[in-house]
Amino acid sequence: MVRLKHLRLYSGVLISLAVMFVLSLGGGLWGAEQSIGHWTGVLFQNVCHQNPDRSFLFSGAPMAVNSRCFGIFAGLLAGWLAIPLLTGLTLKNRWPLWLLSLAVMAQIIDYTGNLFHLWVNTNMSRAVLGIFLGMAATVAVFELFKPEN
Amino acid sequence: MDELTEKKNPIYSFSDYWPSIGIVGAIFSLITFVGGLFFGYQQINSEPTGSFLSPFMISSGVICLISSIAGLIAVWHFTKEVSPVLKLGQGAVIGFLTGAVIVVVSVLLSELWVLLVDPEYNEKMMESVIANFEAMDMPQSTKDDMIDAMAESMESQQSILRQIFIGIPITGLINLISALIGVAIFAEKEQKDF
Repeated sequence: MVRLKHLRLYSGVLISLAVMFVLSLGGGLWGAEQSIGHWTGVLFQNVCHQNPDRSFLFSGAPMAVNSRCFGIFAGLLAGWLAIPLLTGLTLKNRWPLWLLSLAVMAQIIDYTGNLFHLWVNTNMSRAVLGIFLGMAATVAVFELFKPEN
Repeated sequence: MDELTEKKNPIYSFSDYWPSIGIVGAIFSLITFVGGLFFGYQQINSEPTGSFLSPFMISSGVICLISSIAGLIAVWHFTKEVSPVLKLGQGAVIGFLTGAVIVVVSVLLSELWVLLVDPEYNEKMMESVIANFEAMDMPQSTKDDMIDAMAESMESQQSILRQIFIGIPITGLINLISALIGVAIFAEKEQKDF
């Protein structure tokens, strides 16, 4: 078992990300028919447009965040869980930061292409790109948790 | 404490963090507030098209993206102005508090705008967003549920404290993560003892 550096910070962020992920599932988890107006929706209203048409459904109700934000939160949580496994890697260059730049560029290109009607993205494509960005963000910081030998 | 130990384990007081948190937080809250107003009035003055790409929807994505990098910028500011040596936990604190400052200042600016400049702003905004939802191509029952929920949410008139209390955790956590990325990019790596 790897004992991470900054274990308390790692654990605190892990718990926070898990709670954020669960809450982003929205009102459906609590038996509500909508997330807009529900307390879970209010929680995310500053960070997401929450358009039900662009959100996945959970228990019959649109989630509290759209598919892209949900993908980012899922990617952050999955990437954070993977940090103990990633610390076994030894990197000689800054490829995690290049990966993060690529993920950000992919978001901007996808958003812009859709904005100018070059293509139409879907809930699934937005979620997949979101997962990519979330995971790339955690990969960019995993070396900071690497245990000292 | 000798110089090397001090460099490896820097101890900062809150007054060392505050300029980075305060300046970056205030700048980003101003950017998001002005951007929100710009897109908000565009939304109010536009005809309901039923398109997803309304000014309100575009602004949500853009403003969220901008405000999420504030933690990273605050860490950059700290490494430039205070010390290039920064521990991960210290970066996390800077990120979370920068997110908190953004929420507090944005809420206060919004309240001041409604109080002093345009008391009907929220009402006009909500009417415009609802009109756009009405024009969207989705089942009527879904539209009705959404509009009811939005109207209910608006009528409940959240207090300033509630808006701040609700806004800080998510914005703070997102900026905490971006601040950790900032530490990875900008902070000087710890030196190993030989």
